[in-house]
Amino acid sequence: MKKYSIIGPILLILIWAIASWLQLVDKFFLPGPFTTIKKLAELLGSGIIIGDLLSTLERVVLSFVIAIIIGLPLGLWLGRSEKIYRSVEFIIDFFRSTPATALFPLFLLVFGITDKSKIAVAAFASMLIIIFNTAYGVMHAKKARILAAQIMGATKSQIFRWILFWESLPQTFIGLRSAISLSLVIIVVTEMFIGTTSGLGRRIIDAQITYEIPSMYAIILLTGIVGYLFNLLFIAVEKRFLHWSGK
Amino acid sequence: MNGAISVKNLKKSFNNNEVFQDFNVSVDPGKITAIFGPNGCGKSTLLNILSGIVEKDGGEFNIENFDRFNFSYIFQNYRESLLPWRTNFENVALPLEIRNKSKQKIEQKVKELQKIIGVKFEWDGYPYELSGGQQQMLAFTRALIATPKFLFIDEPFSALDYENNLHLRTQLQKYYLAFKPTILLVTHNIEEAVHLAEKIVVLSQKPAKVLEIIDNPLPYPRTLQSLKTEQFNKVKDKVLSVFQKTINL
Repeated sequence: MKKYSIIGPILLILIWAIASWLQLVDKFFLPGPFTTIKKLAELLGSGIIIGDLLSTLERVVLSFVIAIIIGLPLGLWLGRSEKIYRSVEFIIDFFRSTPATALFPLFLLVFGITDKSKIAVAAFASMLIIIFNTAYGVMHAKKARILAAQIMGATKSQIFRWILFWESLPQTFIGLRSAISLSLVIIVVTEMFIGTTSGLGRRIIDAQITYEIPSMYAIILLTGIVGYLFNLLFIAVEKRFLHWSGK
Repeated sequence: MNGAISVKNLKKSFNNNEVFQDFNVSVDPGKITAIFGPNGCGKSTLLNILSGIVEKDGGEFNIENFDRFNFSYIFQNYRESLLPWRTNFENVALPLEIRNKSKQKIEQKVKELQKIIGVKFEWDGYPYELSGGQQQMLAFTRALIATPKFLFIDEPFSALDYENNLHLRTQLQKYYLAFKPTILLVTHNIEEAVHLAEKIVVLSQKPAKVLEIIDNPLPYPRTLQSLKTEQFNKVKDKVLSVFQKTINL
């Protein structure tokens, strides 16, 4: 199956190359894939972009870790009682459905024009996704497993530690995967606003303003690669630790 | 009477559907008693009430010297209650872990039980690597690991093929002969009931009543050979005759 996964990237580059070669779009606005990849290699090779890449990664990882630290325990706790979850469901779903970037001005007011506001808004949005998925994982635990443990005389805390927590993991992981992607998206978008001198989002906007279109595409491509690598990382961790999922 | 179960004037209905109305039964200690009866007559409900999963509406029951740590309940599709993130060993160990037993003690217990009932598993493997029959066997072993004095079993063999079914019956008898627990076995299979039980309680259509309690003097261990004896067929015929009175064919 693995060999088929190469088809996607090849197809994408091929369509891009054909569109560029046939000049379907003005070459100035859409440089070809090879020009873009060459530009990306140049940016990475010269090290100009490395600092921005690291800044973005730092913000993403930080916001993600904060989201886990708050969201995971909260999701586990809320999922234990469907009544509690239902009573706060509106709040979670409301903010989950609100574009987090629309809340950015609010975070700017609270945290100031600093990195804190970017990290906070990304952490907030990711946290909601983690809470939602973790709580659902706990709530949808197999009844037969809980019943069997109850009959064996397990305490509530034992059932939670040995069953509910594990039951929630596959769904939690889906949440974590979505959350890290969302963190990246929000961090890059907020970097495009004010108060940043580094970050991939900043560089994309800079390149756009100065009409360095190949650089702009190169950095967009880099952002995509970073997101995809995060995804791969999570799939690998999942395969290793959740080998039993769905069985 | 040590280990006896007695049920008096039990009442239970679901949405005005009466399952038990002044139901009475008494179960001997240290014996295998089969509960046999038509579909939906309340056999499983009886076990659920006795084990505290379902509330009774009225009446009373008593299980002598009962506590939550000396009883096991194996329900239908029991293998679905195995935990896939735990190895086979860790699954079997669960009831002992709940009782806060040390790892050493758990290993010793597993070895002991393995010797008695003669089952073998890839202990480091996972339940999802096992066949359905083996999974049920694993779940079965887990139910026995804490050597319960009371064992409630609800159609444990119904999802198994005949060979695995016979295999499991043999294991159950080995456990029974070694520890003499009080076993309540709910089944809709006459052969199973007569193969395993010393007493067979035949129930009527709901609201359930005890139609008759039939003694089964066949000596243990009951082998495949026992299934072919005249005595076996005599008991089986008797159960069938009582059962016939309550069903409409």
